[in-house]
Amino acid sequence: MDYYHSPSSIKDALSMAGKFSGNYTIFAGGTDIQIYRKQQLDTNEHIIDLSGIDELNSIATKEGILHLGAMTTLDEIISSDEIQLHYPLIAEAAKSVATPVLRKTATIGGNLLVKNRCVFYNQSQAWRNGMGSCLRDVGTICQVTGGKKDCYSRNVSDTAAALIALGAEITLMTPDGITQKPLKDIYLPCGIKFHNLEEHSILTQISVPIKPKKWWYKKLRLRKTLDFTSLTVAATVDINSIARVCLNGVSMSPILVEQTMDTLTQENLTRQARKNCKTVDNDLMPLKYRREMINVFLEEWWDSIEII
Amino acid sequence: MSGPIGKPTPFIDAVQKVTGQAMYAGDYRMPNMLYVRFLRSTESHAIISKLDTSEAESYPGVCAVVIGKEIPISFGVLPISPDENAIAIDKVRYKGEIVAAVAAETIEAAREGAKIIQVEYEPIRLFLEPEDSLETCAFHEQIHSHTKNGKNIHKTAELRFNEPEKEIKTAAHVRREKFKFAGVTHAFTEPHSTIAVWNGDDTLTVISATQVPHYLHRNLAKVLGLPMHSIQVKKPALGGGFGGKSDPFPHEIITAYMAMKTKRPVKCTFSREEVFITNHGRHPTEIDMSVSCDQNGKITALDTDIIIDGGAYGSFGVVTSYYNGVLLQGPYRINKFGFRTRRVYTNKPQCGAMRGHGAVNPRYAVEVMLDMLAHDMNMDPCDLRINNFLPENTLTVGQLRITSNGVRECLDTVRMKCDWDNRYGKLPSGHGLGVACGFFISGSALPIIWNRYPQTVVHAKLDFDGRIVMFSGASDIGQGSDTVLVQIAAEELGITMGHVQVEVADTKITPVDLGSYSSRVTFMVGNAAKTAATKVREEMAKAIAKEKGVIAENLIFNNCRIYTKDETVDLSWEEGVEIALAGRGAFVESGYYISPKLGGTFKGAGAGLSPAYSFGAFISEVKVNPNTGEVNVIKIWGAHDCGKALNPLSVEGQIEGSIHMGLGQAMSEELRYKNGQQMNANFFDYRIPSSLDTPDMDITIIESNDAEGPYGAKEAGEGPIHPVLPSIGNAIYDAVGIRMMELPITPDKVLSKLRGGE
Ligand SMILES: Cc1cc2nc3c(=O)[nH]c(=O)nc-3n(C[C@H](O)[C@H](O)[C@H](O)COP(=O)(O)OP(=O)(O)OC[C@H]3O[C@@H](n4cnc5c(N)ncnc54)[C@H](O)[C@@H]3O)c2cc1C
Ligand code: SF4
Repeated sequence: MDYYHSPSSIKDALSMAGKFSGNYTIFAGGTDIQIYRKQQLDTNEHIIDLSGIDELNSIATKEGILHLGAMTTLDEIISSDEIQLHYPLIAEAAKSVATPVLRKTATIGGNLLVKNRCVFYNQSQAWRNGMGSCLRDVGTICQVTGGKKDCYSRNVSDTAAALIALGAEITLMTPDGITQKPLKDIYLPCGIKFHNLEEHSILTQISVPIKPKKWWYKKLRLRKTLDFTSLTVAATVDINSIARVCLNGVSMSPILVEQTMDTLTQENLTRQARKNCKTVDNDLMPLKYRREMINVFLEEWWDSIEII
Repeated sequence: MSGPIGKPTPFIDAVQKVTGQAMYAGDYRMPNMLYVRFLRSTESHAIISKLDTSEAESYPGVCAVVIGKEIPISFGVLPISPDENAIAIDKVRYKGEIVAAVAAETIEAAREGAKIIQVEYEPIRLFLEPEDSLETCAFHEQIHSHTKNGKNIHKTAELRFNEPEKEIKTAAHVRREKFKFAGVTHAFTEPHSTIAVWNGDDTLTVISATQVPHYLHRNLAKVLGLPMHSIQVKKPALGGGFGGKSDPFPHEIITAYMAMKTKRPVKCTFSREEVFITNHGRHPTEIDMSVSCDQNGKITALDTDIIIDGGAYGSFGVVTSYYNGVLLQGPYRINKFGFRTRRVYTNKPQCGAMRGHGAVNPRYAVEVMLDMLAHDMNMDPCDLRINNFLPENTLTVGQLRITSNGVRECLDTVRMKCDWDNRYGKLPSGHGLGVACGFFISGSALPIIWNRYPQTVVHAKLDFDGRIVMFSGASDIGQGSDTVLVQIAAEELGITMGHVQVEVADTKITPVDLGSYSSRVTFMVGNAAKTAATKVREEMAKAIAKEKGVIAENLIFNNCRIYTKDETVDLSWEEGVEIALAGRGAFVESGYYISPKLGGTFKGAGAGLSPAYSFGAFISEVKVNPNTGEVNVIKIWGAHDCGKALNPLSVEGQIEGSIHMGLGQAMSEELRYKNGQQMNANFFDYRIPSSLDTPDMDITIIESNDAEGPYGAKEAGEGPIHPVLPSIGNAIYDAVGIRMMELPITPDKVLSKLRGGE
């Protein structure tokens, strides 16, 4: 298989990325990306499989900061005592992803970089031929809005919502070196290019600084397992009374509202969240309901805060 | 009963299936085999204005390209509506219809070949919703030329008895309500797959994932122009059908045609998306129903007008149309009764038979309406039902013959088990219980194609190896009919199940059975198998009695021994076999089943006739989240009268499966379309309940011991689904006081009702 590459170090992986520039796809657990391959939505020639890179698989706490290797599986995260004890929000979010079997392979890095979804896009080639392909594929219009410019596919990463609410940072490695930045900064409000990762980057680590005073998590889906989110809300309040409320599944990128509790009201939280969400009818749950649920979830969170 | 009958018995093929040893159609490979892929329509309703296959024909690896005109004879499972061609001819009627087929050395070559076929369409007016099809249109716009009055109505089925409409105008308590049901599909595990081989002796062998080898056999003969005696249809291990493999399918005919044409083995296996597009699932349905009661809570009349959305072709639709109405005649006595069902053609994949055929949606409607009437009259919904149950041994208004009937015991059981009397109507807000009942046929009394033959024949063969082989055309589709054959022979002959093997579902070797549909197999094949095995025992007894000088009737077959009560004769099974076969060798005995003559003489009297009916009562418990509209079904109690559970393990399995399938249709499953294209043609977006969504189940088998069923048995495979859905709907009312008139009951609909919307 001359298209399949399994580097055993980050360095090797980066040099392969350079070599196959523009024509490779990274596999972590592969649980998301394989479907894109099958549906011919990802047609790159080369596969770089990160699963042989041991240094990417770790859970460690140093100086009060939790470090997760990008290749740590969601299952490992859920069953880690450290995470269950000190970062239950991460465990809860990870547990809400896919199914137990998938979580044995699915990685945290892959989950943060899971591709945006849309019911008109995540379909087979034959299906797309029947419906007409869209902007994000090879077509010229958006099948949802009829527009010719913008794509509104949804970011559906559940752990992104949780980790952004926790103020997580990520480490990216490129052939030029290492960068660190807040996780929230890698997401772009665009359904086609939804990450701003530089070419040839590999996500290596996620660092979580805060242990919040309070946390809250809820995911909307029709079935109790398996389904991608129709709305995920993760929220924290830290010791300085800063609230971080992150919504995902309702827009092209996660939506964060970050504000001190001293000035935050339920109304202005909801207003900010709703204003920033570009929610369109591209999920199996009806649009009106998904919008209503933003209010309901935020209200539930608000009520839970007041009780505590 | 001293043998395996009535004892929980693991299926004889269970180990093979779970270890991956069982051979499904998709597992077969032949030397020099070709693969078939299809070009499928990207239009919902259009004239095929250009179809050029020349490039595909010369594509490397492609051996044959076939278009519709080459296989022009139409077919269909019902001889009254053979409206389908193997490949679209001149026009397409739904997105995904097969427009051309390519056979090639590899799947990839076949796929590429199909891709480069040049096709152009001229769209015609679309009929996507039933109301479109009820409008008049120009002749050239009609989906099929044979429909009448410029409309796309495939069938109108109507029966009326004793002027229900008059009663409804004057009755003490009346309800008239409208319901809407989304289409759902079978979602079986194994995709359709077929292999066809053209044999050296100019015969055709077709191995296919089918529930109806016999109807496939007939339709292959018709379309391919071959005599039936030149065709062998075999059904290998099968991974679920639920009605979705009970039609002869285009891909089966095309694959067989390709084998004839190329003289090479040919194979076709569907992708999951193709399975969804092929559909044949439950019809999307709109019901307008009126039910009335007198002062004492007796149901006086039922009248209903139903529209079912058939999609592009007929399939079982004529039967479905009748079943929507006639199967409302039980389990309650309703003397003034009428229905009209109109099945319309639309430009979508066709609908057909699916578990609980035709009766699931109207059952939801009537059970919800009885609940409403009970509330109107301030009566307990269980009491209202008990007040109206049909008795045993009676005729319904449309002359369905009810024999054994355990419905009262079913209802009493679930009522007691869930502590209904202390909990119903008294649970905190958001928490509720709901009840519903149902009944269903144990096999259609009439064959699909009229003939003078029995509905099934079973042969039992005894040879000097001491083995019994049961030959039956019955199709085990996972429901366990092979196991039943073995159980029955072992029971009748007093031998272990290990002494009995089956040879099944092979039209060259096994006597005809009509197929696995309408819950007929255990009842009909069971009766035939029992006769055949009994005759083997009698033959053996005759020979042994003669040799040993005892009376044949005094010989007992038990525990692998053949003996008289006083033990003057006490033989091992093998010794008995030796005596029985002396001087004659192996012999075969035969049993058959023909349904008794039943029913009235009016037009449509045949619909819904069955030699026996199963009954059931279910109660569901739900919790509703008033903020989100999410419904959590937490427990279901089910009691089902299957006459006699020949294998309680599999009866329980059928009831559990029915609960799961009913739950899916009630809560989350739905085939969605946009512009005639399925939006969720995969197991991710078509949302079957997961194990976490599936409630606790408390199952009771009620045995009413039917006089005509084998050992008293009736059906258990379809009847248990009917009460599941309305019991959930009624429980939601008890929890939060809203009536869900549209399925699936998704949270958005619940929330909208809770907030006062419609
Ligand atoms: C049935 C089913 C249900 C699912 N349900 C959910 C759900 O509920 N919520 C949810 O969020 N997801 C869900 N998923 C999607 C997916 O399983 C998860 O998001 C999973 O966590 C992805 O991780 P992975 O390791 O398999 O990623 P992969 O599929 O290997 O990769 C995902 C993407 O990230 C890129 N990538 C991965 N790792 C790196 C890295 N270290 N550096 C650079 N790029 C990288 C890949 O190139 C790819 O584009 C579901 C998938 C299936 C099949
Ligand atoms: S939002 Fe529009 S452009 Fe984007 S994937 Fe969906 S249909 Fe395509």
